[in-house]
Amino acid sequence: MRNLIDFLVKHSTWFVFAFYVIVSCIFLFDKNPYQHHVYMTSAGKLTAGVYDLSHNITSYFNLRETNEELQVQNARLEEELLGMKATLQLYQERYYADTMTVSETLRPYRFIIASVINNSIHKPYNYITINKGSRDGIRPEMGVVDQNGIVGVVNIVGDNYSRLISLLNPNFRLSCKVKGNDAFGSLVWDGKDPGVALLEELPRHTIYTTGDTVVTSGYSAMFPEGIPVGIVAGSEKTIDDNFFTLRVNLLTDFSRLSTVRVIASDIADSIRQVETDTNESKQQNKQ
Amino acid sequence: MAKTVLQFVILYVLMVLAQVIVFNHICLFGYAVPLVFIYVILKLPVTMHVNWVLTISFLLGLTIDIFSDTQGMNALACTILGLSRKPILRLYFPREDEMSTPQPSFRSLGVSVYLKYVFSISLIYCALFFFIETLSLFNPLRLFIKIASSSLLTFIIIIAIDSLTTRRREKRL
Repeated sequence: MRNLIDFLVKHSTWFVFAFYVIVSCIFLFDKNPYQHHVYMTSAGKLTAGVYDLSHNITSYFNLRETNEELQVQNARLEEELLGMKATLQLYQERYYADTMTVSETLRPYRFIIASVINNSIHKPYNYITINKGSRDGIRPEMGVVDQNGIVGVVNIVGDNYSRLISLLNPNFRLSCKVKGNDAFGSLVWDGKDPGVALLEELPRHTIYTTGDTVVTSGYSAMFPEGIPVGIVAGSEKTIDDNFFTLRVNLLTDFSRLSTVRVIASDIADSIRQVETDTNESKQQNKQ
Repeated sequence: MAKTVLQFVILYVLMVLAQVIVFNHICLFGYAVPLVFIYVILKLPVTMHVNWVLTISFLLGLTIDIFSDTQGMNALACTILGLSRKPILRLYFPREDEMSTPQPSFRSLGVSVYLKYVFSISLIYCALFFFIETLSLFNPLRLFIKIASSSLLTFIIIIAIDSLTTRRREKRL
């Protein structure tokens, strides 16, 4: 017994070392990003508090660019609105009774405005922290966009803060299609350039040209259909001959994210409800 | 004794804040990221027991991990660095008892030995960290450039911080 204690004391350094290495490896190889606890991420109270403080100072730096981008978007929206109004009027005149019900179904989505308080772009797996949490109605797996395009998806929600998986994270695959074409593929970041992502698994018969817009397909419950994501920059060599892989220049400038909009959709919940219901009934059928 | 402990606690907090608020957002040419917080491990007294050095290194790495969402990468790299710190120092400076103060610095080790010590530590840390980080997305050339540029940048910033603090202390004397 004495010898054992002597041995333990003599080699305590190695035991301590091994213990810490094992603990850090447990953190490191826990691959599922949804299982992390809120205290171990940047959405924790203390960590997010620190980022909130520094954001209060640094948020003034890119107000000018944000303002310009907003004005550009505003102008575009106004144009679109005028166009819409004209069309709507046309339809109203033709089918007055029918249009009244259409306008109700156009509003299943609602936006929650949030500020980015921490963000990274140069790591292999990037995350974003925003200053809205469960108290503001944010739930995991909600989609997030900014004035230019897709930003990411909500991952871990604290009381007042939440962490997003950035689009610049290979764990996040987004179902997308080339505008004007119904074939869809999945958009994923390859970890190199923060301005470029790859649109993979696009069927070989898809017709595209460089400069085409890539939009969301609407097949995931997180994002509505037709949100612009990027511009096709060219094709990439693929391993599999049956599919195309396209290089896409992202519209969102991740180095200058400041204000983002979280998409709270009523449809998403009901779609998810249906999906879980069918899964459960399938399992019951198997049994 | 209590004064040194307090000094280290303040250094720890300041370094963590500096890393997560300022240095984590620096990425020169898309490659060089300064990992300056290892200054805390670098400065721990030589006389300190290795178990304590390991504990402090692990906690420091974990704190940085929590802030920057890197899940144990820094904790692992810091723990290994904590263990290899003493052998590195012994390589350049075999007689520890001849140091004027137990804290490694320009004055206690001499300029050339201290520079070599800081450079080796930052090179080892950057190599460890980027190797752990790119385990899944392997690209040897990119990894090499990242390690080389980041360790150089880290080295320069640590030496700059060091010369700032020592000069202030000399003025006070």
